[in-house]
Amino acid sequence: MATSTPDVAIAADPSPAKQPTTKRAYPGALVVVEGIDGSGKSTQLYLLKRWLEIGGYRIHFTEWNSSPLVKSATRRGKQRRLLTATTFSLLHAADFADRCERQIMPLLHGGYLVLADRYIYTAFARDGARGCSPHWLRNLYSFAPAPDITFYFRAPLDVAVNRIVAGRPKLKYYEAGMDLGISLDRSESFRIFQERILNNYDQMVETDNFVLMDGTVRVNKLQKLMRQIVGEKIALQQFAPKKK
Amino acid sequence: MTRSVKNSLARVSGNGRPARKKQTKSPLAPPSRFYGTPLPGVRPEELSGTLIVIEGTDGSGRSTQIYLLTEWLESQGFAVQTMGLRRSYLVGEDIDALLAENAVTRMTLALMYSTDFFDQLERRILPALRSGLIVLADRYIFTLIARAAVRGIARDYLHGIYETALRPDLTFWLNVRPEIAFDREFKKSQTISYWESGRDMSLSNDLFQSFIRYQSMIKREFEYLSKRHGFLELDGESSVSAVNRVLRKRIASHLGIRSTQYKPSHALSHLWR
Repeated sequence: MATSTPDVAIAADPSPAKQPTTKRAYPGALVVVEGIDGSGKSTQLYLLKRWLEIGGYRIHFTEWNSSPLVKSATRRGKQRRLLTATTFSLLHAADFADRCERQIMPLLHGGYLVLADRYIYTAFARDGARGCSPHWLRNLYSFAPAPDITFYFRAPLDVAVNRIVAGRPKLKYYEAGMDLGISLDRSESFRIFQERILNNYDQMVETDNFVLMDGTVRVNKLQKLMRQIVGEKIALQQFAPKKK
Repeated sequence: MTRSVKNSLARVSGNGRPARKKQTKSPLAPPSRFYGTPLPGVRPEELSGTLIVIEGTDGSGRSTQIYLLTEWLESQGFAVQTMGLRRSYLVGEDIDALLAENAVTRMTLALMYSTDFFDQLERRILPALRSGLIVLADRYIFTLIARAAVRGIARDYLHGIYETALRPDLTFWLNVRPEIAFDREFKKSQTISYWESGRDMSLSNDLFQSFIRYQSMIKREFEYLSKRHGFLELDGESSVSAVNRVLRKRIASHLGIRSTQYKPSHALSHLWR
């Protein structure tokens, strides 16, 4: 029939990239750290977590790629090197969706302060460096709630890469970006891969309101700043222990 | 008789024929084999094979038709590769495990299915198409989109995920009424599966009601997809041989096969009802 349009593109509109959903229909809050390996983000989030824990706040800590649900598939894919840019990305998205639907969203609705070590920006930066289209990635993660604060820990490439390479006997295949075929030398491949990721992160500083943190600053000084920013941007008394 | 069967079966949606058929002949044509941006690293012009999709609910006769078409195409000298849901090496078994537990949430399941789909597409289907094979897909992205959409996941979101997928050369939809699908499925397995009756959606405590409501929702999604993507809609309630005849005719004309004569071998004759 003439009225139907049988063969239109499945997504004809490649225009505005979707941002994570911004409406906050929950009483909780979400604080995220991002940055390349060796930027110091995990150390800083750990210290932030300890500070809040000791204070008795209602918090929950969550990590990228930690759900048991897709662990066996991820392991199988990595061991046998079956993953392509697309399936690597989708598997991590499935893993994130599981954490999002079963942990992060219920906790936000339940009034928790959720601390996330890496969030959707990791996928944007890393999977983008693997060749996935930014538009496709933005759509893929458009179900994720927008963070209240995104700390971006930035260290110069050499500093970050040296921290990782010095502490590890051998870089893993996908970690080093060996699937990209950039270089047969793992350290060299890792370096170039991290550089691409770093560039992708840098491009998101403005578009995604990152709070830029200098990863070369002394640990305790940087933590002091981080706590100060959290105190300013989040109504912490909301998560404080109830007085009896 | 032949004529009336043909007319009643070939209820073609849209204008029926894929409009881009001429385009694919030219190597300089835009990459119309993909819905949007092609998958990273894929050159559409090197895909010389043909992708034929058979869609339809459980009990629509899809798998039977694929057995028969495979035999027919092979007898005509065409090499055939098949794909289907949960058949990837990467996550096929993991999805089976998730389904068995019933603990998985809708978004996770939707994304596991898309991982399964793209693993098969990239590691089995694209190599087959590069080698000029005929790929028969026992369901494709449309079932995955319909299932997720009835569970409340935005259609735009789903279309966005699958925009890097390959556009089929032909998509057949074996349409059957939910009641008929119920009869056939029950006859086959003496029960109705948890997921095929949409029990995760709490539609009804009565299994029959739940199945009918769920399949009706899926059918509505398919009606929409059929218009949007120009499915060739067939009456899945007709006999196996009648449906097969229409399929052969349409595929033969696409591939330039002269004869559509076919009688199943002894091994498959039990399917010929």
